[in-house]
Amino acid sequence: MLNRRFLLLGAGALAGAPVAGATVLYEGRETTLGQSRVIDGDLWVEARDLPKLNGFEVKPQGACRGDVCIPLPKSLKNKSRLNLSGFARKVKQAAVREGDLWSFGEIPTLRSGYLDSRIAPSFVVRDRKGVDVRLEDFRGRKILLLTWASW
Amino acid sequence: MDLPVWQSIYTELNGKGFELVAAAQDTGGEAAAGKWYDAAKATYTTLIDTAHVVSSAYQLVNVPAGVWIDEKGRVVRPPETAAPKNQELKIGGKVIRTQGDEYVAALRDWVAKGEASEFAMSDSEYSRRMNGRSAAEQEADASFTLAVALRGRGLEDLARKWWQQAQALNPESWNYHRQDWSFTTDAGKKWMEKFQKTEGDYYPKLELKEKK
Repeated sequence: MLNRRFLLLGAGALAGAPVAGATVLYEGRETTLGQSRVIDGDLWVEARDLPKLNGFEVKPQGACRGDVCIPLPKSLKNKSRLNLSGFARKVKQAAVREGDLWSFGEIPTLRSGYLDSRIAPSFVVRDRKGVDVRLEDFRGRKILLLTWASW
Repeated sequence: MDLPVWQSIYTELNGKGFELVAAAQDTGGEAAAGKWYDAAKATYTTLIDTAHVVSSAYQLVNVPAGVWIDEKGRVVRPPETAAPKNQELKIGGKVIRTQGDEYVAALRDWVAKGEASEFAMSDSEYSRRMNGRSAAEQEADASFTLAVALRGRGLEDLARKWWQQAQALNPESWNYHRQDWSFTTDAGKKWMEKFQKTEGDYYPKLELKEKK
């Protein structure tokens, strides 16, 4: 029995232990994954979860979001899974982790819209009633987007 | 406090196609920010941005900050200090100034004239002002977000660890510092220490008109 348990643990370590409830933070969203694994400190996710994690979608030419496509080397894929930490390294995206919380910074290539083309970055933030408010809700109006704080 | 003044400006301009979207950069949520909206009797859009999502997206490092966005979602003026009136605060042998009167006059002009306003920034001036975040600043932002999520789970010590990481990686951000300090008992003292070490203006001088 002990032996068998040892073997199971060993196999699990090789394949990457499944992580219960890994949560990904990106662009203000928190997404808790049903299935994910940590292998050598990298977070592997189901490729089908990618759109809700960071807006990218796996296509034959790579991971794509709008006009941007990032080729995916074989090392970042394994059957239905994708190495999200490896993807972050490839696109020079900051990633920090504490336990089952994985926080990803901006994807630099996506920032040219704001920095070069003057496209106001989209956001979703709740109002006082808990209703999601999007920048796009105000299209057709002139906006002063104003930050302040109580502190 | 600025919010009541913004309410009167909003009342004046709202009928002219103008929206004020206020986003409280407050991890403390409604409990921290709500009473200020109440006191201002705010009827503009009142957001509670617990994770500082707006500061993250627009690269803001202090409050108040304002961004002008036109009808099509194009940035008309990038982030700058957004006070609703002139204020001068003498503190610790230094002076904090806001140039709100000029700022609001410029805002009125843009609301009236749109692209023809002299305050609608040119592409060349826009690109002169805009810089992407450094790798350290990007990691700082991811660290700040992580801290907010940890605090939301009641893990205050871990939250502090990552807030301090964000501060170390991007010392320029007052937001990273002050949000963290707001959960301590000596926020005022910490602010004063950092303020005294700060060179130049606490709020950068506005450059509303472009040099031709």
